[in-house]
Amino acid sequence: MNRKGAFARYLNRSGWLFVTPALVLFGVFMLYPILSSLYLVTRKWRGMTDSFVGLGNFVRMAQDNQFWHALGNNFLLMILQVPLMVILALVLAVVLNQGIRRGRGLVRLMFFLPAVTSLVAYSILFRILLQTNGMLNNLMLSLGVIQQPIGWLNDPFWATITMVIAITWRWTGYNMIFFLVGLQNIDPEIYEAAEVDGASKITVFFKITLPLLVPVILFSAVTSTSGTLQLFDEPNILTNGGGPANATMTAALYIYRQAFVTNSDFGYATAMSYVIVLIAGILAIVQIRLLGDRK
Amino acid sequence: MSVVRSPFTPIRLLMWIILAIGSFVCVFPFYWMVVGSTLNPNAVIHGNLLPGNELWINLEKATKNYNLPLFFWNSLFIASITVFLGVMVNAMAAFGFEKYPSKAREWFFGILLLTLIIPQISIVLPLFKLVAGFFAPIDMLFGTSFGGLLDSSWGIIMPFLMSAFIIFFLRQNFKMFPTEIVEAARVDGSGEWRIFLQIAMPSMTASFASAAILMFIGQWNSYLWPLMTILSDGTKTLPIAMSSMMNAYTIEYGGLMLIVTVSMIPVLAVFLGLQRQFVAGLVGSIK
Amino acid sequence: MKRTLSFVMTVALLLSTAALGFAAPSKVTVWCWDPNFNGASMKAAAAVYNKTHTDVTIEIVDIPQQIEAKIEAGLQAGGKGLPDIALFQDFIIEKFVQNYPKAFVDLKAAGIDYSQFAAYKVGPMTAGNSVYGVPFDTGSTGLWLRADYIKAAGLNPDSYMKSMKWSEVIKLGETVKAKTGKPLITYQSDNFDMLRILVQSTGGQFFKPDGSLNLRSDAFKKSLAAFKEMNDKGMLYLAEGWSNWIDSINNDQAAGFLNAIWMVGTIKSKPENKGKWMVVPTPLIDVAGAKAASNNGGSSWYVFNSAPNKAGAIDFLKSVWASKDPAALSFYNDILKGQGAMGTYMPSRAGSNYTVKDDFFYKNQAVFADFSKWMEQVPVLKYTPNYSAMRDAVANATLKYFQGKIASIDDTIAAAEKEYKEVMGN
Repeated sequence: MNRKGAFARYLNRSGWLFVTPALVLFGVFMLYPILSSLYLVTRKWRGMTDSFVGLGNFVRMAQDNQFWHALGNNFLLMILQVPLMVILALVLAVVLNQGIRRGRGLVRLMFFLPAVTSLVAYSILFRILLQTNGMLNNLMLSLGVIQQPIGWLNDPFWATITMVIAITWRWTGYNMIFFLVGLQNIDPEIYEAAEVDGASKITVFFKITLPLLVPVILFSAVTSTSGTLQLFDEPNILTNGGGPANATMTAALYIYRQAFVTNSDFGYATAMSYVIVLIAGILAIVQIRLLGDRK
Repeated sequence: MSVVRSPFTPIRLLMWIILAIGSFVCVFPFYWMVVGSTLNPNAVIHGNLLPGNELWINLEKATKNYNLPLFFWNSLFIASITVFLGVMVNAMAAFGFEKYPSKAREWFFGILLLTLIIPQISIVLPLFKLVAGFFAPIDMLFGTSFGGLLDSSWGIIMPFLMSAFIIFFLRQNFKMFPTEIVEAARVDGSGEWRIFLQIAMPSMTASFASAAILMFIGQWNSYLWPLMTILSDGTKTLPIAMSSMMNAYTIEYGGLMLIVTVSMIPVLAVFLGLQRQFVAGLVGSIK
Repeated sequence: MKRTLSFVMTVALLLSTAALGFAAPSKVTVWCWDPNFNGASMKAAAAVYNKTHTDVTIEIVDIPQQIEAKIEAGLQAGGKGLPDIALFQDFIIEKFVQNYPKAFVDLKAAGIDYSQFAAYKVGPMTAGNSVYGVPFDTGSTGLWLRADYIKAAGLNPDSYMKSMKWSEVIKLGETVKAKTGKPLITYQSDNFDMLRILVQSTGGQFFKPDGSLNLRSDAFKKSLAAFKEMNDKGMLYLAEGWSNWIDSINNDQAAGFLNAIWMVGTIKSKPENKGKWMVVPTPLIDVAGAKAASNNGGSSWYVFNSAPNKAGAIDFLKSVWASKDPAALSFYNDILKGQGAMGTYMPSRAGSNYTVKDDFFYKNQAVFADFSKWMEQVPVLKYTPNYSAMRDAVANATLKYFQGKIASIDDTIAAAEKEYKEVMGN
């Protein structure tokens, strides 16, 4: 009995040794900041001087329409962009899976290329492309598609569209790869059985393929909504800080500005970031419940 | 779904068109960015699509006015160190969690997973206060100097070495590594560390390659945290340099395109080189 | 014994005198943006200083537009990573002084005579008995116009080289637009400088003494109305951001702009501009107390209390930027000609370049003489620590008003006040 116990302890110790470096880093660089934020959030800052305000930051937040407007933008982008991208990625994956045999690797690579760009780099590229006097407008003007340059970046409506287009460009290929892998994981025997039963291709797709892809769709949806909630790089660079007139201001950008630009109020910024965490958590739970139950 | 046999049905054609348009849209900005590196600023904005002859001028501007080689090196150093140390740390943790089950460790793993939903902005704010030397207690208790992490490459590396996502990802892959081999090696007298290093790791190259790619790309493209902590030119990374150029008094579009192009090269190289393993690793984790 | 003692004493004496007169080479680090303007001016100053102080290296680091955020981050960290001297715009200092009271060196206490600097520059950097920076360039404004487009519209540019009312400017814009299709003025939509320039020309403050917004003034309403009229008549060109605005000027998207003297460098950087540009006084808005002069921007040099080489930095600034020494005065003269940088050190205004005719401009206009004259009329403006927030709120509301999303001037003011209040949290 002792030998078993000693062995078990030896195993346990080894287990801890493997896990400890990561846990130490976790403790210092994630746990400690999270805990210290509990302190930060109760204070109001102006530069280096701070004062205790208790829940005052939350009271202020409740009345701060700028924050809710920014958060609303996150949701607007989420509603517009995520379904568009998921559907597009799905369609492309199906087409790629079905359409061609040779050259599939090459096409797959081309679709994945946008995903290796840094968010900064592609924001810069799109910003230059979509300037009022930029390439896209010049092209459309010379083709006669439009008479006046479209204000991609200086009209609130078009700026939102621009963000949707840019984000979709960046992430569709990435999600498509996951769907492709998911599709290829489906046992061909299932399809053969369905064909024998006389099911049409459409029925097969909706009743068999799609349900089997639910885990991947869930993964896609959760990561995409989480990503949309954290949008920072794109509004900062593509629309010059959430413009025009805050039309594309996002929550993360607004929080950053409160912490570093407007007032250096870390306490207020932290309070707002708590709300973001809460929303992220709720969204994740909702999505897992909704899609996870469909198995 | 059975594959359509005849090559030229309308549906097939439609599929080809969709793929062609999609590929073009995806690839065009890359082409434009490379061509733009050879043009003068006005030509870049206007949308010239044929290569010009200003490549050397742009290169000179990028190295003299903007210290491109230094920024490139900073990014490379930071991303590489993050990958080498980070994959190790995360792989060890994944191995520990998977092959040495224990209630306490499961509990920790659960906490790690929970933190996955926390958006980056929520972490970097108090993290900034930490490296800005605000929370002196940690410095006093552990004799460290977190203030030294501000405006330094290590300050960008260290907070991102441990990644809950990568640990999760690698753990999924470790699930497929037969525990029998581990036990057999143990019976043979190998120490745990040796088992990890010489038996488990070599057979998981696909997963490690995927993890390496993900960590490299993540750190290479990292923007928010460096934006907060980089103060001087000496530690600047490429994304910060690029966004600075967009805010310059007059934008050097040609030089900017050049820096953007150059910033893509290592990521593309890493990805292309490890592409197969990457997809294989994805397959493994999705299962 | 005696010999050893005297030997030791001699060595000690030598060492101590060596330490005194043989100063180790020292470095002064300066942060500023725009290498062609601020950087080049600082470089010229360094050259002057190095003539008499050969052992000091002045290192100029170019920091593009987000210098205020960088300084903020450094101040948060108690001064880590910050240089000796930094340049930033005058409307920022009040916020820094309020949020980081001990961040900067009180240069008045260090011996700089502020009576020699333009009063409106010294105002913002004063807090009680302390004064914090060394004023640099003026933001004296004018209406910059393209004489060639005016000619192309069938008008004589010479008849516009005078102080105009805005109603006359609008008429000019209508003709130019009708005949050449060019908008008269290009502006930056995330900033709306031109609006604030106009308000300030009346001496109008944006804040009441208690710190709340003062947008309901006659000056603000009339200025907003003037630009709205121009917008609706198609006389304005909208540029999304700073670089787009500069591009629009370089690419002739409009026939002019309303901004400050520091645009000289940009205009002159394009040789094709020679002979085409003229500058007329800031147009008069129909409000009591309006002057044909205003200010936009302008920055000053500040020394951090955390500076590695505080003494060196202070001595450098004193010797070149705040000294009546002939070498220092000729330095100011040189950067005026070389960079178009007009300092605000009053004794330097006797320099020859201040009155010279500039052959780059239409009819060799002596632009610097004009800007210098206008600078005398600029009223003191209290920026307050909340200037940036006000600026953003006003810009956002005005853009919406221009784009038809807000119906009236009163609604625009209300929207700006609302956004300001929510962002600032009071």
